Amino acid sequence: MAAPLELSCWGGGWGLPSVHSESLVVMAYAKFSGAPLKVNVIDNTWRGSRGDVPILTTEDNIVSQPAKILNFLRKQKYNADYELSAKQGADTLAYIALIEEKLLPAVLHTFWVESDNYFTVTKPWFASQIPFPLSLILPGRMSKGALNRILLTRGEPPLYHLREVEAQIYRDAKECLNLLSNRLGTSQFFFGDTPSTLDAYVFGFLAPLYKVHFPKVQLQEHLKQLSNLCRFCDDILNSYFRLSLGGISPAGQETVDANLQKLTQLVNKESNLIEKMDDNLRQSPQLPPRKLPTLKLTPAEEESNSLQRLSP
Amino acid sequence: MSLVAEAFVSQIAAAEPWPENATLYQQLKGEQILLSDNAGSLAVQAFLQMCNLPIKVVCRANAEYMSPSGKVPFIHVGNQVVSELGPIVQFVKAKGHSLSDGLDEVQKAEMKAYMELVNNMLLTAELYLQWCDEATVGEITHARYGSPYPWPLNHILAYQKQWEVKRKMKAIGWGNKTLDQVLEDVDQCCQALSQRLGTQPYFFNKQPTELDALVFGHLFTILTTQLTNDELCEKVKNYSNLLAFCRRIEQRYFEDRGKGSSSIRSS
Repeated sequence: MAAPLELSCWGGGWGLPSVHSESLVVMAYAKFSGAPLKVNVIDNTWRGSRGDVPILTTEDNIVSQPAKILNFLRKQKYNADYELSAKQGADTLAYIALIEEKLLPAVLHTFWVESDNYFTVTKPWFASQIPFPLSLILPGRMSKGALNRILLTRGEPPLYHLREVEAQIYRDAKECLNLLSNRLGTSQFFFGDTPSTLDAYVFGFLAPLYKVHFPKVQLQEHLKQLSNLCRFCDDILNSYFRLSLGGISPAGQETVDANLQKLTQLVNKESNLIEKMDDNLRQSPQLPPRKLPTLKLTPAEEESNSLQRLSP
Repeated sequence: MSLVAEAFVSQIAAAEPWPENATLYQQLKGEQILLSDNAGSLAVQAFLQMCNLPIKVVCRANAEYMSPSGKVPFIHVGNQVVSELGPIVQFVKAKGHSLSDGLDEVQKAEMKAYMELVNNMLLTAELYLQWCDEATVGEITHARYGSPYPWPLNHILAYQKQWEVKRKMKAIGWGNKTLDQVLEDVDQCCQALSQRLGTQPYFFNKQPTELDALVFGHLFTILTTQLTNDELCEKVKNYSNLLAFCRRIEQRYFEDRGKGSSSIRSS
């Protein structure tokens, strides 16, 4: 079966289809808009460190950043924002900007810069997905990239110090989470009953924060107190990613099924063969039972003869 | 500022009323100030006008270095110095003046989100245009940025600032964008603002808020600054309700004070 749209992204864990925020955004959007996306879990790439993952490949072109990928999908008529009004579309852009400015630095910090989290959770996980020797280099690079981004956007020139910025970014992130929670209120999705781009972005950034187990969890604790955001993530995971809860993508599930089918077929054939052989044996012309008095065989010989008859 | 220092400052701020001699510092208007800094400064001025707080604008060549966070504009009130629109809004709120008290939680969230949109897209686009577009850099920015300083300091400072801005652009993923892509982003942002504004006088109907001040600052500066290419200006001019919005705020808050800021030329 030809898969025209292929997405390369980081793999999943802790109940999520992917641990990388941007990959998750694209996957969620594809589910919401019904785009048939074949997910390839990448494990060996330099592109990850340049921030180019996720990547969408079609027959003609390669599209790289989440915003561009979503634009591309929309042009292919997979549009999850069909029913939004103009004002809601504008709100979407604004909230995405809010998430990128206020929440992303703290999420990056929790995953990549906070030493406890980085060395016990993030680095081993990414290193396990990347083959040696890249596994020694790539996670370090990604961590430096994250730190760089935080300092350049929030730090103060000319000396960039992390400590001053840390408190500020966590405070901003908590405020941002509160604002998102206020905006969501009690509704199912951000704009009514159908999910849209904004839901994909919020899910993509919140789900890893919510599900991955960290030693240092201040932002996660704050998120867990906002029950409507947690409910939002769980709802999307359950309704759109149910098959993938074990970490296998839907495409993977299909190959497992195909393999299972082949195996059952083979087993069936084997059992058919055995049956046939059995039938042949039964139908083969049977020698008349030995009359004991005519051929005087010793009991041992008789036994060995009968044994010989039974063995194939 | 660390959290403790901020709490301390707002305690002290709350104790005193707004003095008469509050001053706002920015770079030299005629020769030095750049598009993005001018936008920020105008936004703060508009905000303070909307709150009816008197402020005097003082131009200094080393304003950027005087500022506590390295960014202009900053205000000097009593014996405190606060820079950038966000902290200034909070500082003014601690003194008891606020424009966004009448908004409910959802509207406040929206306002903050739109302010971030303007900062994320418009401000970054302005910085890109000023520092990463070779034509503009060569003709306008380098000359203006280093103008108060003697040779070779003017070149060194300009290159240093350019290197810093380029680093930041690369970190947030704008390093590989072409000018056309940046202009398209600006267009998207203006479209979002225009749709949000609709036919209302201000973004949150009857009363202006800090979002209005911020949008006014940026759009007005873009409309009235001459650059090497006018495409940025053209993008904004496509949206008539944004033009009407800028004119309305200019007439209400600036013209009667005699501040003719409608003729900012940058060359």
